[in-house]
Amino acid sequence: MSFREKSAWAMIFILFSAGAYYFNKIIGISHALGETAPPIISLVISYVILIVIASIIIMAAIAGTSGREANQPADERDRLIIDKAGHWSGYILAAGALAGIFNYSVLHDGNLLFHIVFASLMLSQIGEYVFQIILYRRGV
Amino acid sequence: MAKRPPITNRVRELREAHGQMSQAALAEIIGVTRQTVIAIEQGRYSPSLESAFRIARAFGVGVEDAFGWDDQAA
Repeated sequence: MSFREKSAWAMIFILFSAGAYYFNKIIGISHALGETAPPIISLVISYVILIVIASIIIMAAIAGTSGREANQPADERDRLIIDKAGHWSGYILAAGALAGIFNYSVLHDGNLLFHIVFASLMLSQIGEYVFQIILYRRGV
Repeated sequence: MAKRPPITNRVRELREAHGQMSQAALAEIIGVTRQTVIAIEQGRYSPSLESAFRIARAFGVGVEDAFGWDDQAA
């Protein structure tokens, strides 16, 4: 498995874990309140910090075992894969944003709109790495 | 499995004919990663025109000697 593929798997794991942590908290707070929890900026910040710290630690560990490959810049195939995966993941974000808008137009719940859009952002990030792995394995 | 690109190549054959040149050495010459050379040889990636020329020049052959077009796959 190439360095970039290992990195993509690692990012999927990190983003999924951080997302599960975030929404576990939000669902718990929503149950306690009896309504959709409002956006909690401190939780968003801890989500971002968790991702940054975990990324640094795990990427450093992967780079340490990948030798020269880790220091090589993205070549033409890597760039094409990154571009395509980013393009496709944009559809996930757009679908989530549209779902959020539709939901808001029906329920008028701004808090839920925030969580739907934030979840879409998380899913599109995860999707981007999933698409990268697919393209690395199946060809581009 | 993804559809194979219609561009075929003899990169592996040419590499082996040139003193068993390693994939890493060829990657270094044309400025891509070894993974990309592997993908080209396996037909999972069609290189850019610039890289195709670099590959052909690395082996001292023309582009059409290194790459071909598969009408059936097109």
